[in-house]
Amino acid sequence: MSWLNDLYNFRIVGQYLNVFIDGMITTIWLSFACLILSFFFGIFIALMRMSPIGFVWRIAAGYIQVIRSTPLLIQIYLIYYGLPALLPFGNLFDETQTAIIALTLHTTPYMGEIIRTGILSIGKGQKEGAMSVGFSPFQNMYHIILPQAIANITPPLIGQTAILIKDTALFSIIAVPELMGAGLTMFSETVIATESYVTTGICYLLIYVLTLILSGFAQNRLGGAAWRSN
Amino acid sequence: MMDVIFAKWHVTISLMPFLLQGLLMTFKVSIFAITLGSTLGFVLGLLRTLGYRSLTGIIGLYLHIFRGSPYLVQLYIIYFVLPSLGIEFLNFDSFTAAIISLSLYTSSYVTEITTAAIYAVPKGQEEGARSCGMSKAEALFYVVLPQSLKMMIPPMASIYVVIIKSTAILSVIGISELTRQGEVAILRMPGDIMFVYCLIAVMYFIYCYPVLRFAKWAEGTFGSIGSVQDQES
Repeated sequence: MSWLNDLYNFRIVGQYLNVFIDGMITTIWLSFACLILSFFFGIFIALMRMSPIGFVWRIAAGYIQVIRSTPLLIQIYLIYYGLPALLPFGNLFDETQTAIIALTLHTTPYMGEIIRTGILSIGKGQKEGAMSVGFSPFQNMYHIILPQAIANITPPLIGQTAILIKDTALFSIIAVPELMGAGLTMFSETVIATESYVTTGICYLLIYVLTLILSGFAQNRLGGAAWRSN
Repeated sequence: MMDVIFAKWHVTISLMPFLLQGLLMTFKVSIFAITLGSTLGFVLGLLRTLGYRSLTGIIGLYLHIFRGSPYLVQLYIIYFVLPSLGIEFLNFDSFTAAIISLSLYTSSYVTEITTAAIYAVPKGQEEGARSCGMSKAEALFYVVLPQSLKMMIPPMASIYVVIIKSTAILSVIGISELTRQGEVAILRMPGDIMFVYCLIAVMYFIYCYPVLRFAKWAEGTFGSIGSVQDQES
């Protein structure tokens, strides 16, 4: 066993196990919060993007383009340094809340684009049928279009969620105590690279496997037309 | 108002050569990584469609490992862990580590795209070519690949945007690319944090936006595979 101990020292990892578990929990709830928020705002962005009013859809399209063509790291820096300067109450947010704001702002356009393709994939007859039985535009969207659209877009939504979870690793740079931060803490205290970073990688792979299993359930439960055709 | 604009203009002019150096480095790293990673990914994707079960399994595991962990972790493992193993060959300097990690990361996406594009060509095409007396390799190179290469263009362009944006992460290991140059510039002018970051964002935008537009145009011209979605790092 000594060769294994030379390559990967279990005892040291054991000492830092609680740090890694805390980091994993933070990563999971952080990404879950961002997922819910960005999905919610993504619906609004998708509706804005499809609006016939030029002013409204241009704002949404501009927002989408700007976010999509700048790196997340720069957006994090801009929000981390910019929020306290621009907003009078910006100082109230701690690192974790800043992280949630930045990642939600970053993920919303992607979610919006996915939701937009989902809404466009619903046949026109559905909308016309709902209107002909007297549904208002809101009821139409809420009861008829969105349920079908969301069922159709489960595969890309799950892909985007996996990307979202990986993106949280960047928040170690602004000292959010998530999984990557746990690895960095262990490295700075023990200066052994192998155990710190390989353990971090393994923890991320564990979360990835968890998402794969959950997405299997989601596909079986919600799978719509687009999923079956694959 | 006027003197504020004048001061910002002065900052811009004095920092521009410095930041442009960083943009050049970003360009260099991204082009290296895109070339190497696309070649590797194309070969892997091709091997994956040949139908050897063990090979498909190994490549699938490779894809899961590289797509299931954040790029930051991969970079740290390649930059810190591999040299500490004590093998002479794996003693990377930071530039080599950056290129290798980014190429491997690119290849994981390109493999998926290649596989999807080859499967997207209808099976009748290959069967027709085989029944005309072409060998398996001939059918692949003269009939299937030309059609799938065309379908690969739009998703490849969106992946390239992802890779360009991922180069920002390289600033943590001290590659002097655009983000790193910006951080150094802020050390020189600590009063203009927001302004310098906005400048950097604009420069990334100028580099990425044409590629994104190209991806959109190509999707209209060459069609899309459908199952490969826009990925983000």
